[in-house]
Parts: sequence; structure tokens; C-alpha cells
Amino acid sequence: MSDDARHNTNDKRQHRHTKHSPDAENRPEPEDRELARLRSLLFQKELNMLHHLATQTKNRSTETEHLSRIIAEALILRANKDDNLDLALSPLVGKLVRSSLRTNRREFTDALFPLMGPTIRKSISESFRGMLGNFSKSMEMSFSWKGLRWRLEGLRSGKSFSEVVLLHTLVYRVEEVFLIHSHTGINLMQLADENIDVPDAGMISAMLTAIQDFVQDCLASGKEGNLESMQHGERTVMVEKHPLAYLACIVRGVPPADFREQMRSCLEYILVEYGDKLEQFNGDAAPFAACAPQLEKLLRAHFVDEDRPIPIWTKILFFLCLSALIGGLAHYKWKDYQTEKLLKEENARLLGISKNLWEAADRLRQEPGFVIFHVEPSDKDPWQIFGLKDKHARSPEAVLRESSHNPEAFGFRMLPFISYDPLMVRARIDETILPPETAQMRLHDGVLHLSGTATMEWIMNARHRAMLIPGVRDVDIKKISDPRMSAILAMIREVENTVVEFPSGRDTPIPQDLPKLNTAVDTLVNMEKLAGQMGLLVSMTIYGHADATGSPQVNYEISQARTKTIAAMLYSKGSSMPISIYGLGADYPESSAPKADQSHRRVEMRVRLSRAGDAPLDFLQ
Amino acid sequence: MISKKICMLGAFAVGKTALVQQYVHSIFSDRYLSTVGVKISKKDLRLDGQEFSLVLWDLEGQDIYAEVNISYMRGAMGFFVVADGTRRETLDIAIDLRAKSLEMAGPVPHCLLVNKADLAKEWEISRQELEALKKDGWNIFATSAKTGQAVEDAFISLARAMMGV
Repeated sequence: MSDDARHNTNDKRQHRHTKHSPDAENRPEPEDRELARLRSLLFQKELNMLHHLATQTKNRSTETEHLSRIIAEALILRANKDDNLDLALSPLVGKLVRSSLRTNRREFTDALFPLMGPTIRKSISESFRGMLGNFSKSMEMSFSWKGLRWRLEGLRSGKSFSEVVLLHTLVYRVEEVFLIHSHTGINLMQLADENIDVPDAGMISAMLTAIQDFVQDCLASGKEGNLESMQHGERTVMVEKHPLAYLACIVRGVPPADFREQMRSCLEYILVEYGDKLEQFNGDAAPFAACAPQLEKLLRAHFVDEDRPIPIWTKILFFLCLSALIGGLAHYKWKDYQTEKLLKEENARLLGISKNLWEAADRLRQEPGFVIFHVEPSDKDPWQIFGLKDKHARSPEAVLRESSHNPEAFGFRMLPFISYDPLMVRARIDETILPPETAQMRLHDGVLHLSGTATMEWIMNARHRAMLIPGVRDVDIKKISDPRMSAILAMIREVENTVVEFPSGRDTPIPQDLPKLNTAVDTLVNMEKLAGQMGLLVSMTIYGHADATGSPQVNYEISQARTKTIAAMLYSKGSSMPISIYGLGADYPESSAPKADQSHRRVEMRVRLSRAGDAPLDFLQ
Repeated sequence: MISKKICMLGAFAVGKTALVQQYVHSIFSDRYLSTVGVKISKKDLRLDGQEFSLVLWDLEGQDIYAEVNISYMRGAMGFFVVADGTRRETLDIAIDLRAKSLEMAGPVPHCLLVNKADLAKEWEISRQELEALKKDGWNIFATSAKTGQAVEDAFISLARAMMGV
């Protein structure tokens, strides 16, 4: 309602009021007076109250004063009663604030400045903490491999679990935003999560500016150009510059492509809103506190959303990859199995070969005439066998071939040696001594036993040579004989068994013994001839005896004469053997027979064989 | 809080970095001086009940081989030029740097810090020279990195000049 309209209405009210004024009532009709009196009597009290109320209504200042006394309580009362007061006042308050902001922005800014910075920081911090907390909590609640792995990583690196989760899930996070006055490098506004330790925004801003100046001076060489980003580890400083002010955002991770556009928009908004203040900047950053909501929009973060529904094509791709992986794995395992099988077979084969080769080497060890002291296996080349071999041993190739082994698989490095193995000794004997068919050789315990018959020369030669053979410690020739020697021996025995007796006092044998004597002499002559053929010498000793009758001298003489008779007979038959004669008298009676017994008067013959110049061949007897 | 960019320039080895080391704090090492050519430090001041933050750009010293990268002066709201009282030539360099800085940053408040006041007897820069510079409008402090003499005063003076209070 306009002031004029309000004035007219008051005039009308005044006019109506004038019509019912007390002056008019002073001139009442008589019936009216009565009625007035009656009204006065009946409603005086109410009339007084009405009058009082009317007075109050007319008096504005009184009304205001009254209202001022009750308005606070009334508002409280009403506010407690219902929401109508809020509904009524809200639009009015909003309108008032907007109006005030238009007219007195500076006062509002100054008033809100102490509150805005901490409030925004707290809000950002809570937002980040909430995000991290959710991640951390969800990971802590889950016992997934990933969670365990990250937990282990945290333990290993000394980082908190939340940090590790952040590192793995964070795509990017704008950790700090600086609004800096380009010309002076003075920090106008800075926002950051309160968990991030910002050393000193003022100095950081100045240094950022200095670095840009430095780069500009060093690289741009006076040309226009800006340092748009700097990278250090996971963080990037992104700079959006204008000659009046610039924005610097410290970003962890990789921001989206449109982030720079957002920085630019934010800076443009600030330039539009605060261009004048930036131009006239004198170091007071307070007016720029109101930029905080704009800067806050840049403080963003994006995490890998693990709960996001997976698109169908991703699932298909995943299953294809999984199938390919499983297929590949199965193929790999199959190939691996095949390879392993082949390898096992090859190993078994090689083991078989190896075993066979070792057996072959062992076979060679058992072979007489071999000493194997080293076997050198090889995968490719023939195995080398090092050892000793007797010249009489069989060739190793022959040994292995005989035992069905492949001698080609070996190389033999054999040195000669003399084996005492009986077979080798025997082979050596056989090589050295060639026995006649009538003779046999047997080696036992190092002793060569000769048996059968052979010539005396062969026996002697064999004995001599056998003793020189390594491995032969003795030669037994007791069981080998020369047949001629047997005959000679038989003759010797015959001759030596022949006793020729003599009559008393005579040196000629008794007639009965003459044939025996002649036979013995013939035998001796024959034996002498036979021995001579064998290269032996026959010598003879004749002992003559007498009985005890007569004098010993006579007896000696007669006994000697008797030996000479025999010797003379031998010589007469052509013998040339040396003969020793001994007349022993009666010193060796034949028996206990009476001393004159004929048996005492006798001649005994003893034959000896010898090599010419050698000792007598006693062993033959 | 109001922040101001101030720079510190001077000849090589005049003791710039050592001069302010105790009065500022930095999160960067001196290595930045030889690599980027500047080291950022900060000095918080409370002046007449108001808090200021002076962002100090300590520029690599100029020598015969390398000039100061004066482009770092861009946007500076004040600066110190530092000379070594015991080396006359450093004052010439300081005068030259002042001119270049004013050309780059405009007519901003600045101070000349003549360092090594603790070795006053060995100074090659005469009082007369400094008096002459003062008459030309120079704001000069004889400072000592060793004793800390006048360093805080220089910061306050520069801050006051920048704030116009």
C-alpha cells in the first residue's frame, strides 16, 4: 500500500470517528440518554476496556513499545508451537541476506572470513576421510586376497593400510589448490585436506612463482609461454596462469582430461568477479576468501569404484580372457605333462643306458686280468674306462660283446700290468711252457704241478722256466717222470737188490749167484748206455764184506778183492762208469746169523746218477 | 593477513642471507639460491596492531660472472639492497641494483643495508658517502649479521613504508 492510499484511509477513519465524537453525544435525544445511561450501568466496565483498547490502537508508539515487550517471547512461543514462523520468516531472511550481500559484500566477507577457511577445510577433510574410511573399512572387513596383499604391502612398506588402499584405488586426487597473485607471487587463497601437511602456503606460492619466472627466463627467452605442469613422483603441479592471477593444483595420480578446463573456468570466474581487486592488489588477501567455494570445486578425487556394475562387454572380455587363460594354462599343462613324460622316458632310457653302461663296467671289473679304477660317464661321448690290463686278458671289447654289452659305448684307457690272477698265470705258463702230450700241468695256489711223463730235459727246462713266471711260486714235478728214467731207476733198484755171496776165503761168487751177477752187470751196462743217452752219468759204489772168521786184515783184503771182482766184470763188459770200491771186512755183518754164515760174505752195489758236473740226481731216486 | 613481497639484492657475498637468517623462517634450503637463483623466506610482523607477512625473495648475489635475475623483482612491494661496508665496490653494485629494481618494480619503498657494522673500522665506505645518499632520499641502515644490529629495525622501517603508516 502506498503512502497516499494509507493517508486517505486514515482520513476516512478520522471522518468516521468525527461523526461519533463526544460533542455529538452531548446533544442526545431523551430516549438516547436513557439508553446511554442504561448502557453505562450495564457495560461500563467493558466500555472502559474498549476505550483503553481504542486508545492503544490509536497510539502507534505505545503499540510498538508493547509489542517490543512481548515479541521475543511470542516468537519463541510460536516457534515451539509449530513451523509457521519458520515458513513465514525464511523467505524474508533469504531476501534480506541477498540484499545485504549486494550492498555490503565486503562486510559479509569480513564477517564470514574467519569461519569460511576452517569450515571448508573441515568439509574437505571430512569428505576425504569419509571416502578413505569407506574404502579402508570395506577392505578391512573383507578377507580377500587383495586385502591381504595390500595389508602385507602396508606392513612391508611401513604405510598405513588406508594409504596402501589409497595408492591402489586412487585414480587421482586434487590435494591442494592455490590461488596466487601472478605479479607478486603472494598467496591469495589456498585449500587443502587438513590431513595434508602444507608447510607454508605463502612461501610455496612465492617459490612456485619464482620457479615459473626462472623457467620463463631460462627457456622461453622472452617469448610468451607458461609453465603448465611440473611432475614429481606421483604428484603433478598443474598451473593455469593469467597475468593477474594463477591457479596451481597439486594432483596425485592422473586427473581427467577436462580438469584443466575446469581450472580455466574457475580462474575465469575469479578474474571476472575479482578482476578489479586483483589489479589493485596491495597484499591483502581477505577479499579473495570468498573464492573458496569456487576453489573447493577443484578439490576432487576419483577412486576406482569396485562396486560399480561390470558392463556386459567387460564380462564377455573377462570370460574370453579367462577362457583363453584356462585354455592356455591347460595347453601349457598338457605340454608340460607331455614334456615331463618324455623327459621321464628319456630319463628312464638314459638311466637304462646308464645302468647298462655301469653293468658293463662292472662286468669288466670281474674279468680276470683287468683292474678298473675309474669310469667317466658322459651324456654325449662314449664313457671312458680307465684301468690296467694284463696282456693275457681278453680284449675288453670281446668281454663286453660276450656279455651283450655294446663296446662302442666305451673308450678304453688301459695300461699294461701283470696280473696274479690264476687264469693269467696259467695263460702265462701255457705261453712259456709247451708240455708234451704225455705231460699235464696244473696250477694250484701258485704251485705248478706237473704230471704224466716227459723227457728229463723237458721237465728240467719246464721247472726252470716255470719258476721265472710271475705268479708261480713253486713247481711240483713229483708226479711227472721220464720213462727212460723209470727204466733206469728200475734197473738201479734191480742192481742194488742184487746181493752176491761168496764162498769163505774166496773172491769169486758162489756159483749159484753167478747168473744173478751177470744179469746185474748187464743191467748196469745197459743202464749206463741209457743214462748216457739222457746226458746222465752213472757212477757206482761197491761195498765188499767178509765174515768174522779170520783176521780183520784178511777180511778187509778179501772183502776188497770181492769188490774188484765185480768191478772187473763191469769193465770187462765195456762199462766205463766210475766205480768206488770199499772193502769193509766184517764190520757190517748182514744179520745176527753166525759169523761164519755165508750171508756175511757178500757184495752190495749202489748206483748214483748225475749230470755231468752237477750234483747227483738224488731227487730222482 | 596482509602479505607483501619484498626482495633482497646485493653483490656476491655481502652477507644477505646471513643477515636475515635469524629473523626469517624458510622451508627452502640455500641450495635454491644457486639453482633457481632465489630463496623464499617469510617474516611475520605485527605493526600497530596489524599483522603483516613479508614474503622475502632473497636473490642470488651478483658477481662479475653473473648478474642478479632482476625479473624476480617483478611485483615486489619493497626491497632491500645490501652492501658490504668493507668492500667499496659492493656499494656501487647496490646503487646499480637499486636503479634496476626501481625500474622493474616501480617506485616502491626500499632500504640500503650496509652490512658488517661490527667491522666498522675496516669499512671502505665512508660516512660522507652514506650521508650523501641519505640526502638523495636513501633509507640506510648499518647492519651486522654477526650482532643482528638494526636488522629488525630495517624490516619494521620497510614494512611501515610499504603500509604507508
